[in-house]
Amino acid sequence: MRLLLTTALLLVGCFLTGSKGAEQYTLGPDSQRQEGVPRGQVTQHELTDSQVYPGTVRDYWVYVPEQYDAAKPACLMVFQDGGNYAKEDGQFRVPIVFDNLIHKGDMPVTLGIFINPGVIPPSSPTAVARRNRSFEYDSLGDQYATFLLNEILPAVSKDYNLTTDPDGRAIGGISSGGICAWTVAWERPEAFRKVLSHVGSFTNIRGGHVYAAMIRKTDPKPIRVFLQEGENDLDNLHGNWPLANRQMAASLKFAGYDYKFVMGTEGHNGKHGGAILPESLRWLWRDYKPQN
Amino acid sequence: MLNRTVLFVLLLLPVMTQGQDMPLSDVLIEGEAWELVGEGFKFTEGPAVDAVGNVFFTDVPSDKIYKVGLDGAVTTFVDESHRTSGMIFGPNGKLYGCRRGLKQIVTYDERGNATVIAENVDGNDLVVNREGGVYFTEPSTQQIWYISPSTEKRVVDHGIEKLNGIILWPDQRTLVVADTAGENLWAFRIEDDGSLRYKQPYYTMRLTRGQEGSGADGLTVDTMGRLYVATHAGLQFFDTQGRISGVIANPNDKRISNVTFGGEKLDTLFITCGNRVFRRKTQATGIRFFDAE
Repeated sequence: MRLLLTTALLLVGCFLTGSKGAEQYTLGPDSQRQEGVPRGQVTQHELTDSQVYPGTVRDYWVYVPEQYDAAKPACLMVFQDGGNYAKEDGQFRVPIVFDNLIHKGDMPVTLGIFINPGVIPPSSPTAVARRNRSFEYDSLGDQYATFLLNEILPAVSKDYNLTTDPDGRAIGGISSGGICAWTVAWERPEAFRKVLSHVGSFTNIRGGHVYAAMIRKTDPKPIRVFLQEGENDLDNLHGNWPLANRQMAASLKFAGYDYKFVMGTEGHNGKHGGAILPESLRWLWRDYKPQN
Repeated sequence: MLNRTVLFVLLLLPVMTQGQDMPLSDVLIEGEAWELVGEGFKFTEGPAVDAVGNVFFTDVPSDKIYKVGLDGAVTTFVDESHRTSGMIFGPNGKLYGCRRGLKQIVTYDERGNATVIAENVDGNDLVVNREGGVYFTEPSTQQIWYISPSTEKRVVDHGIEKLNGIILWPDQRTLVVADTAGENLWAFRIEDDGSLRYKQPYYTMRLTRGQEGSGADGLTVDTMGRLYVATHAGLQFFDTQGRISGVIANPNDKRISNVTFGGEKLDTLFITCGNRVFRRKTQATGIRFFDAE
């Protein structure tokens, strides 16, 4: 009886604070500017003539660490919903985290490529755009990987020396961007072998719920995966995000993948993923030996 | 730089908000089921709503067009329809139709008298914008045609395998065309001169086991931008990002051929299914393209 009462009080308390038991996640020192740490440069670009996604326009940003040396191929990491990851005052602050981790030698010299989803602008100012985010991120198949490999990477490679070693090429994203990152590596493991998923949508938006089943019966691919998820994540018409991520983690374990699954208490946002970004990156890039 | 940042934040807002989910529970009303409007027809098609909310449909093999009044009464509107198939109301109260028997696109006035606006074309389904521009599908040639408001016609796309239903987004600047044989609905951007660009398989439908294609046929949209399509699997609908959001069950054993919103408040789905027509009240509100300013 006493236990019941305590539980009831706890539940009421959670309800009143609206936290549903979520922990407070805060950004650590690796996500803050530190004195004496060299600062990389972020430049903004626009892609307006995609052949893979005709009619789409989008912004992308390129982060180049101060330690970059054009004589040595740099590693790269591609982020979907890139503007969100590139913001220095956002939940992830990737340029700051990269500066700190590269400076400490916790990850190799790595270029960041931050890509926003495409939009087909309307032909009249009063009309609405055709938003391409779900089509690009939630669809299974190799179309988005082809877009990266045929359109984005060649554009960045014009100015920078990027590694062709798939173990030196990582990809990440949040929500539909998370499943998108997985899909790219799944389709093209010869091009990307490190995946970072934040509250990934391994649900049935456009069929992505099948991965957990496919992984178990497919010859394992050489992909390293970090999955972050939250107990209070979405449960909607497309699926249940915590269950879907648990299924993914269980399948990756079953099939013998090099994976790490971290279940937090947050909802569909980047608070937890942002707070643990430095340790996620250390885990993904651990033991990486640059070629040459 | 500031402007750029502001613009960027504004662009990102819709991407990051999760409020756009459009589940079945936003559309259906608990306790409201499909209700039979009429039966005993041969093959019903072309449901179209007028300015008042009356719904017209055609019984293709029997050459008749019927009207369903607001009171639900079914009366004959046209006695000799020459196998009129797809229909929709355009500006000035005219009912546009694909008259397959005479290979014409026509408009019917309120007394049911036809005026020919295009000849030597085998239209299946059509949509009319607020200016009176017409897009129609011609399955026999895999072509989409455009008839300008001054009735000049030209082909604006070719190649969808078994094209069929055709509809506009509420803003009338995106066109969507169904492929009965395929898995996807195709979206196009409409240019100022009526031409089409950026063809994309934007919507992927649910398939029925044992059926090769979707069976996608007629289409309609609502004020929220949801897009509905009649298929083998039922009446499927999609949100504004092209994500399948619900499959409303077919009430009988005949395939749903077409769909529109009708009724006084435009909140009632009407579907044509073989020998029958059904309706069902919803929480959604349909679009009449001629209503837009």
